[in-house]
Amino acid sequence: MSNSYYFTIIGTKDNPLYELEFSSFKNIPTTLPSNYIPGKSQFSQSTKELLPFIANSSLDIIEDLQFSTNLLNLGKIDQFYGLNINGYITQGSIKFIICYDSTKDESNSIKQFFQEINELYSKVLLNPFYNVNDAIISPDFDLKVKQLARKYL
Amino acid sequence: MKVYSILILNKAGGLIYQNEISSGLNKLSANDYLVLAGTLHGVHAIGSKLSQSISTTNNLKNTEELNSIQNSNILSFGKALNPNNNKSGLQSIETDFFNLYNFQTVSGLKFIIITSPNDNFENFETSNEIFRKLYILYSDYVMKDPFYSLDMPIKSILFDKNVKELFR
Amino acid sequence: MSDDSIIIPSTTTNSLSKLTINDYSKTGFGYNPSIGTQSNSINNIETSNLLISKKQIILSTSTIPIYEKLHLISKKSPIEEITLSSLLYLFSEIIQWQFKNSKNINDLEARLNGLGYKLGIKLIEMIKLKDGYKLLKRDTKILEILQFIHGPFWKFIFGKQADELEMSQNNNDEYMIIDNLPILNKYISIPKDYGDLNCCAFVAGIIEGSLDVSGFNCNVTAHTSTTDQHPLRTVYLIKFHSNVLYRENIRN
Repeated sequence: MSNSYYFTIIGTKDNPLYELEFSSFKNIPTTLPSNYIPGKSQFSQSTKELLPFIANSSLDIIEDLQFSTNLLNLGKIDQFYGLNINGYITQGSIKFIICYDSTKDESNSIKQFFQEINELYSKVLLNPFYNVNDAIISPDFDLKVKQLARKYL
Repeated sequence: MKVYSILILNKAGGLIYQNEISSGLNKLSANDYLVLAGTLHGVHAIGSKLSQSISTTNNLKNTEELNSIQNSNILSFGKALNPNNNKSGLQSIETDFFNLYNFQTVSGLKFIIITSPNDNFENFETSNEIFRKLYILYSDYVMKDPFYSLDMPIKSILFDKNVKELFR
Repeated sequence: MSDDSIIIPSTTTNSLSKLTINDYSKTGFGYNPSIGTQSNSINNIETSNLLISKKQIILSTSTIPIYEKLHLISKKSPIEEITLSSLLYLFSEIIQWQFKNSKNINDLEARLNGLGYKLGIKLIEMIKLKDGYKLLKRDTKILEILQFIHGPFWKFIFGKQADELEMSQNNNDEYMIIDNLPILNKYISIPKDYGDLNCCAFVAGIIEGSLDVSGFNCNVTAHTSTTDQHPLRTVYLIKFHSNVLYRENIRN
């Protein structure tokens, strides 16, 4: 069973801009068993309901780190019943948070993922119809995020 | 060649800018300057009607037609073929006491300079150079000023300053 | 007007950011905030096959989406230049447009500031990424961020650094960024009866927006301070809110 991830982008007013649930695209068996969909999130229903809360509870930690470190990537910031939480904050106070149920630390690949998302996010801002703190509903953005997820996680 | 005075006329012949660069001319009252501007505008208009029969080489009717050809040149080639389209109408008045040169832009705006008299034929070329520089200043400091409304008197401080610098 | 001449932003529906619970994406891509993660999770084999195959996929029918082109952070993309004339004609039109709607000079300045603010909160993100991608650092101190705005930020927008960066001698919450020849003001003459209007209120808005969104709440105003050499010299007065200074004191 591959790891599942919950990725969310949180705006400057602690408002969610984007969410995505997926699972790792690594170690996909060559012959796919029936009912197996690569990339489908495998969180249990009860965890799914908790994920937004877990992500939001880490905002306090991120806010504290915002002015005590000058790194963009905050690394692993918290954990919650076997879920690791990694965070990233941009210059414009936009937070990227990933919750994942892996036993080992995946900070390195998540860091690369975050950096690419950061560039992608600055491109979202180039859209004149997009205002800061709007939800990101562009299908192209969604596609790119999923492609990055496939590449790095 | 010494430039005494500059006048700028809008397309209706109204005086929108007047500047005494150096002394040498008698001062006129504000009203007289307006009359002078209107007169010159009228003479230019009549002159361009006259020249229609004189210049048989090109079958152009008047300045307006010249201008529209000029504009279509700009649109199709991306540049004006001849920046001086001032081919008809009043171009210069030469007297023993002063010379007056006139330049009309594509939109009907007129730049007029009054200079000291000079027998030198290069005067005409020099005046063209002055007109070119004035035109640049006008399009920069007047047309790009958000507080200027078209065809109204030019009150821009920066334009005034740069015109003065041009003749220093 | 035929239908295909209407510009439709790359959203799943025609309405902008007003997706309801009934809006489902036709392509299987696109986040819908009314539905949540259900809207864009990978639920069928087609979607995951699309992702596993390494082909380039383009959802938009008309043009290549911005996410596919433009590498903001690569070294090879130079700063694009535009002509000064077109920029200043545009700026002139912006001022005339806002002037028509405003009640008085202060209102006009506030409106220009507001326009700049919107731009600033977007710009800082991009310029910071372009400038500091290798370092992966944010600016967390007042002086750091001011130096960034004075340096790379200014250079990105205006093609040159700002001329001076000063701290006010009287108040420790006030800083000044000084531009000897603000390019936007180059051809603008303020009529005498307009008081001390400075159209660089727009630039002040850009600074305010980018500082605000980085966590440095402040007010920025533009003032003309003429010297003989530089008749258009403009001072941007940055006044930080007290909580910013308080935080700065605790963190050090």
